[in-house]
Amino acid sequence: SRSPSHLVGCIRTVKTTTWFDEHLTEDNQEYMRKTTAEEYRRQTAEKLNPLKDEPWQRHEWTEGSRRVGLVAVKLGMVPVWSKTGERHVVTMLQVQDCHVIKHLSKEEFDGHTAALVVGGKNVSPFNRSESQMEMFRNAGVPPKQKVTTFKVSDNALIKPGTPLYAAHYRPGQYVDVTAKSIGKGFQGVMKRWGFKGQPATHGQTKTHRRPGASGPGGDPAKVFKGKKMPGRMGNVYVTAHGLKIWRVNTKYNVLYVNGSIPGHKNCLLKVKRHTRASLCMHLFMFVCFPVRECASQ
Amino acid sequence: MSSCQTDRTVPPSCGRWATLRLGQIAFQRHFDRHGFRSTCACVCGRSDMAACGKGLDKFMFSLRLLRNLQLQNERFLSTSVCRLAVGGSSEQPPKFTPPSKPVIVDKTQTVASTRSHLSPEFIPPRQRTNPFKFYIERKDMIRRRKVLNIPEFYAGSILAVTMADPNASGKMNRFVGICIQRGGHGLGATFVLRNIIDNQGVEICYELYSPRIQQIEVLKLEKRLDDNLMYLRDALPEYCTVDPDMKPEPISPTGEVPVNKLKVRMRPKPWSKRWERPKFNIQGIRFDRSLTPEQMEHAQKWAQPWREYDMLKEYDTSKLEEQILSEVQREMSK
Repeated sequence: SRSPSHLVGCIRTVKTTTWFDEHLTEDNQEYMRKTTAEEYRRQTAEKLNPLKDEPWQRHEWTEGSRRVGLVAVKLGMVPVWSKTGERHVVTMLQVQDCHVIKHLSKEEFDGHTAALVVGGKNVSPFNRSESQMEMFRNAGVPPKQKVTTFKVSDNALIKPGTPLYAAHYRPGQYVDVTAKSIGKGFQGVMKRWGFKGQPATHGQTKTHRRPGASGPGGDPAKVFKGKKMPGRMGNVYVTAHGLKIWRVNTKYNVLYVNGSIPGHKNCLLKVKRHTRASLCMHLFMFVCFPVRECASQ
Repeated sequence: MSSCQTDRTVPPSCGRWATLRLGQIAFQRHFDRHGFRSTCACVCGRSDMAACGKGLDKFMFSLRLLRNLQLQNERFLSTSVCRLAVGGSSEQPPKFTPPSKPVIVDKTQTVASTRSHLSPEFIPPRQRTNPFKFYIERKDMIRRRKVLNIPEFYAGSILAVTMADPNASGKMNRFVGICIQRGGHGLGATFVLRNIIDNQGVEICYELYSPRIQQIEVLKLEKRLDDNLMYLRDALPEYCTVDPDMKPEPISPTGEVPVNKLKVRMRPKPWSKRWERPKFNIQGIRFDRSLTPEQMEHAQKWAQPWREYDMLKEYDTSKLEEQILSEVQREMSK
C-alpha cells in the first residue's frame, strides 16, 4: 500500500452533524465545487490587477513604524550551509494565498494603534459561518483558514484585498513566529513541567513520577494559585523570537527560517518582524513587493 | 607517437577497427574510407607513467610494423581512390572532407550513467509532509549534483572523499574507507566511511550535499549481503583496512553491481550490539566461528515472525521511485 500523499493534511476539522452537500444531488455537488474554485481564481486574479483595484497610498518609512506580517504554512526542516561552511538547520515556511482582509482603525481596535487583519491559506466556504463569510466577501477574497491581526503604524496601512508574498522579507532579517504547539494531551508533571520525579529503586513504593510536595505547610495552609500540576499540555500559542531568515524563494514563496518552530508540519503560523533594536535590519519601504510587480510575475 | 596522454577516442564514421593489446596498453587504429588514418592515444585507465614505460619498447616495435603495414595499405587505398576519381571522368580533384571531430569521452561521468540508479536519499520517507517540500529539496539536490558528481555507491563500496578543511595543510584532506552505512533523506543524507589507520579504527560521517566536499571517488564499487555494515566494528581488523593509496578499479557501465558474498569473522564477544539477533537480520557474519548452536537458538527467542505479515508496515515505493527517477534524469540532462 502506497503512502497516500493526496491525503496529506486531511484531518477532520469540521465537526457539524450535516455536510453542505448532504441534501444536494451529485451534479449539484460537483457544480458547487467547480464554481467555488473558479470564483477563488477570479478573485485572486482581480486583486492582482492594479487598474481595477487601486492600492492605497504608500508612505515614507520612519523610525519606529511597524509593518504587517504574514501568515505561512510550516513545511518541514532542511540543512543549510553558509559560505564559510557552517551548517545550520532551517524550517521552510510557505506563504500560501496570504491576503489582507480588513483594516481596523485606531478607534475600532484599541485606541492606540491601527490594525490590519490578515488571512492565510484558502479553504472551502461551505463550513464557515455567515459572519465570517461576510468579512471575506467585503474584502473580495476567498475564505481563509487562519485569520490574525497585526498591530501596524499609520504609515504602513495596506488596502484590504492586497496579496502578500514571501518577498515581504529579505534574507538577513529577524522574525518572530507564533504557532499553536503540538498538543500532547493530559500529561504528568515530569513531562509538563520538567520535575525530577523520584528514584526508581531504593525502596520507593509506587512513587516514581509524582509531584511530591505541593507547598510550604501550616503557615499558608493552602496551595498557591498557579501551582505546577499535571494537566493538558500543548495546543497553545507559542512564539519563537529572533529567528534569522536565511533564504527566500520568491518563485514558490518559501521562507527559510533558522532553527525549529512550534507546531506540527502543515500548520499555519503568524510571522512578524522582530523588534529588538540590535537585530533589526530596517527596510526603508513598507510593502516591498508592490501589486504591479506581482502582476508581472 | 603519443603515449599515455588524454583519453581521446575517435569514433569510426565508417571503417575498420584494429585493436592491439600490449599488456596494460591498448590502442586502436582507424582506417577511414578516404584513407585518412588517425591514431588514437592509448587507453590506460588512470595508470601511472611507469607502467607505460615498461611496455614502451614493445610499443615502438609494433608501431613500426604497423606503420609499414599501414603505408602499404594507404598506398593501396589512395591509388584506388585516385583510380576511382579518374574513372568518374570529371577533372575536379576529389572533394576535401575534413576528418570527423574528435569526441571527448569523459570517463568519470559516463561510466555509471548507463545503469539507471536512483540514490536512496531521493526517496521520501512515509510521513505527513507536503510532497511539495520534497520537490523543493530535490531541486536543491539536483543543483548540487550538477556541480559535484556524486557517483553511485552502496554499503560495502570503497570510497575516497576529499573535503575542504581550513586547518589542514593544503586546505584539503582526503580520506579513504569502506562505506558502512548510508542514512538520512534529502539534503541531510550522510554516509559513514570506516578505515583502520595505524592500528586505530577511524569512522567519518560525511554529508553527501555538504559544500565542503570537493570530490567523491568510488575506488571499488560492490555490494555486500547487508545494507548496514556496522558489525565491521566488531569484526577482525583485516576486513576494514583499506589502503589509502589504493587505485580505483574499473567499473563496468552496464550489468549488475557485483555482490561480495563475504562472510566476516568476528572478534570474541562481547560485541557492541548483539548482531546474532534476528532484528538486525545480518547475513554477512560467520556465526558458526563465534557462537554455539545453542546461543543461535537462544537469539531466535527475539524473533518477531509476525512482522513480515504486518500490512501497516509495508511501504511500497516502486511507483514513487519511477516518478522521481524520471524527474531526476530529466533535470540532470538539462
